[in-house]
Amino acid sequence: MDLGDKKDIKNDTKSEVREPSVKDSGRRSFIKMMGVLAVGAGLAVSLRGLVQSIIPASVGVTSFPDLTLVDQSGNPITTDSLKVNDYTIVLFNYPLQNEPNFLLRLGDANGNDVEIPSITVHNPDGSSFTSPGGKGPYKSVVASSAICEHLGCTPPNIRFYPPTMTGPFAGKIHCDCHGSTYDPYKGFQVVTGPTVLALPNVVMTYDNGNYKVSNMVGPTIHGHPTDLTGGNPLSSTTSTAIYTLS
Amino acid sequence: MSDESEIRKENMISQIMNSPQPLPRRVPDYMRKKGGIWYWTGAMVMFAFFYEVITGLVLLFFYQPSNPFGSSEALVYNVPFGSIMLSTHLYGAYVMIALVYIHLLRNYFVGAYKKPREMQWITGVLLLVLTLGAAFFGYTMDGDVLAKAATSIGSTIAAGTPYIGNAVNAIFFGNGTALSLYSRLLGWHIVMVLLIGVLFAVHFFMAEYNTIMPRGKDVNYRAPAVDTDKPEYKPWYPHNLAFMMELFFIVVAAIVLIPSVFALWPSIPVVFSPFPASPTVIANTPPWFLLFVYKELDFNFASTLLNPFWDTVLFVGAPLLYLLIIPYLDRSSSLMLSDRWIFVALGVTGVVYLVGLSTWAFVYGVLQPTMIVPNYQVAIFFFVPAVLIFLFTYLVRNSIHLNKLKLKRPEVLFTIVGLMGFFSVVSGILIYESYVLHDAYALPGMAAMLTITAILAVISVAIILGIFNPGYSGDTVLATPKTRIIAASMFGALSLFIAIEVSFIKPDSPTNNAYYGIGLAMILLAVAGIIRIYRGESLGE
Ligand code: FES
Repeated sequence: MDLGDKKDIKNDTKSEVREPSVKDSGRRSFIKMMGVLAVGAGLAVSLRGLVQSIIPASVGVTSFPDLTLVDQSGNPITTDSLKVNDYTIVLFNYPLQNEPNFLLRLGDANGNDVEIPSITVHNPDGSSFTSPGGKGPYKSVVASSAICEHLGCTPPNIRFYPPTMTGPFAGKIHCDCHGSTYDPYKGFQVVTGPTVLALPNVVMTYDNGNYKVSNMVGPTIHGHPTDLTGGNPLSSTTSTAIYTLS
Repeated sequence: MSDESEIRKENMISQIMNSPQPLPRRVPDYMRKKGGIWYWTGAMVMFAFFYEVITGLVLLFFYQPSNPFGSSEALVYNVPFGSIMLSTHLYGAYVMIALVYIHLLRNYFVGAYKKPREMQWITGVLLLVLTLGAAFFGYTMDGDVLAKAATSIGSTIAAGTPYIGNAVNAIFFGNGTALSLYSRLLGWHIVMVLLIGVLFAVHFFMAEYNTIMPRGKDVNYRAPAVDTDKPEYKPWYPHNLAFMMELFFIVVAAIVLIPSVFALWPSIPVVFSPFPASPTVIANTPPWFLLFVYKELDFNFASTLLNPFWDTVLFVGAPLLYLLIIPYLDRSSSLMLSDRWIFVALGVTGVVYLVGLSTWAFVYGVLQPTMIVPNYQVAIFFFVPAVLIFLFTYLVRNSIHLNKLKLKRPEVLFTIVGLMGFFSVVSGILIYESYVLHDAYALPGMAAMLTITAILAVISVAIILGIFNPGYSGDTVLATPKTRIIAASMFGALSLFIAIEVSFIKPDSPTNNAYYGIGLAMILLAVAGIIRIYRGESLGE
C-alpha cells in the first residue's frame, strides 16, 4: 500500500538524489502555505468580480414624477367617476409599473363622504410620518400603496372593505395572506399585525377638478430598495391610468 | 478488521485516488432481502434526481423567462404530452424531497453520522439545503399565483439580510423587472442543480469509501460500523444491478403515477395541484415542503420582534446547525438507540415539529385565511410535545435497560406515536371549531386528521407485531417456478395490453395525458414486478 511521501523516501533511496529538499518538512509546508495563499488571492479577486457582475443594474426613475390620474381612455378622472365606499378595487401604478396603489373615496356607514384629516401616523416599529390627508371637493379621496408591507401580497389578497359592509374588517384594508389590517381613514396606519409598517401614502393634489399624484410618504414600498427603484418606469411621463379588479 | 482500520487512518482522498476500490462495492445479501430497501434510500434519491435532470433538460426547450406563465400554460395545453413532462418534473422533485427526508431520518436514527461517516453526513445536510433551494427556484419559475407568493416571501427574507439585504435580494431575484426575475430564477435553478450534482458525486464517493453501513448486530452496535468485503458476497452484476433496476422503476412509476392521478382530481387543493394555478385562484401558500417555514412567520413574537430574515435564521438555521454538528455532539461509539435516547428524542421531536408546523400551516393557511398566532399557542406547540416525547423516550429507555421491554425499529415507532399524538390533538381542536365555532372547514379537516391517526395506529401495531422487520417472510406466493412463470407472463401481457390501449389516447389535453401517465406507470410497475420475479427465479433472491 502506498501511504504517501514519507514512506516513499524510506523505500526509495533515489528520491534523495532527485529531490533532496523533500526531507525538510518545514520548507515543504512553507511552499504549501504559499500555494494556498496564492490560490486564496486568486479566489478573492475572482469572487469580487463575480459578485459585482451578478448584481443587476438597478432600474427605476430618479425623481417622483407629477402625473395626472386618467381613466382607460386617457381622460382625467373626476370626483363623480369615483364611487363612495366602492368594494371594487380601483388601482393605479405609481411611481413605477410594478407599484400598484389603491385609490379610495372614503365614506361613512351611510355612504356620505368623510373628510380625512392629515395626521401623524405612528408605526409599531417606532417610526412615524405625517399623512397627506384626503383630497378633492369633500377631502375624502386618498391613495396608498396596494402592496402589503408585511410580505408583499397584492390585490385582491389585500383589499378595502367599505364601512357599509358587515364583519370585522368593515372600514379597513385587510390582507388575507397573514391578517394584517390597515386603517385608510387614519393615514393607512396599522390596526393589527403582523405588519409593523403602515401602507405608504400617495401624496395627491386636487386642482381644477383633476387629481394629480406627486410623491409618496411613509415607509418604503414593500419589495423595493427605494420607492423609485426596483421596477420599470411608467410608459407616460404625464399621466397614469386607473384600472379595476373585481 | 485491524488491517482495515489501519488503512482507514490514511486520508480519504489518497485512499480514493491512489488505491481505488471496486466500484461500486459488493454488498452483503441481506441488503437485497426483505427490509433491505432501507439501505438504498440514497440510491432512490439518486434515481429521482436523474429523472429530474432528464425532464428538466426537455422543459428547458419550452421555458421563456419573458413569458413564464404563458409558456408553462402553452406547454400544458398545447404540447403533446407537455402536461406529463411538467407535472412529473414537479412531482419528481416532490418525491426526491420526500426521499431526501426519509434518507436523512433513517441515517439519523441508525447513527450513520458517527465515525467514520462524519463528512459524508455533513455533505448530506448540505445536499438537503441545495435540494430545497433548487426546488424553491424551480417551483417559482412558472410565474403562477403560488410562484408569485413564494417569490415575494423569498425576496422579503433576502432583503432582510443585515447591511447587504438589497444586494442579496437583487442577486437572487433581480432588479424588480419581471424579465430579470425569471431569468434569475431559471439561472439559480440550474446552478443549484449543478451544485447538487457536484456535491452528490463527492457524497457518493465518500459512501463508497466508507461502505454502506452494515446492520447493527454485525458490528456489535459499535461505531465505526464498516462493511468488509467477504468472499461470499454476490457480484454487483447481475445481483445488485437487477435490484437497483427494480427500485428505479418503482421510483419512476411513483413519479409518473401520483401527478397523473391528481390531475384527474377535480377540486384538488392548490398546493398539491400538478399544474400551474390559474391566475383567478386566490391563494397564498408556499410549496408543501416549505409550509413549515411559512408558519413560523405567523408567530406573534416572531413577527413583532424579528424580521422575516431572522425568523428564517432561527427556525431553519437552528435545526440545520444541529444536523451539521450532530456527529460532534453524539460522540459515543454506541449505535444502540437506548444509549442515545436524548438524540432519539430530539430526532422524534424534530419530526413532530416539521410535520406539525406543515399541517398547521396547511389547515389554517390553505383551507382558510391565517391569523397571527398568539405566543401562548406557540409555546404550547413547542413545549408540550417535546416534554412528552422526552419523558416517553426516557421511560422506554429505562425499561429496555432493565430488560423489561424489547423493541424492533423503535425509532419508527416513536415517530409514529409522536405524530399520532399531534394529529389527535389537531382533530380535537377541530372538533371544538366545528361544534362550538361552527366552522365549515373543521369537520372535513377533523375527518382527515382522524383518518391519519387511525392509519398511524395501524402502522404502529404492525411494527409492534414485527411485520416490517427484516426477516419477516410474508412472501411465499412466488416460491414455485410455475407461479413465477404465470406471474411474469401476466405482467408481460398486461404491459403489452396497456401499451396498445394508451396508444389510442390522443395526447391533446391534460386529462388524456393523465390517463396516458397512469398507463405508463402501470407498465413501469409491471417491469419492476418482472425484475422481482427474475431475481427470484435466476438469482434466488
Ligand atoms: S403579506 Fe399581508 S399580511 Fe402578510
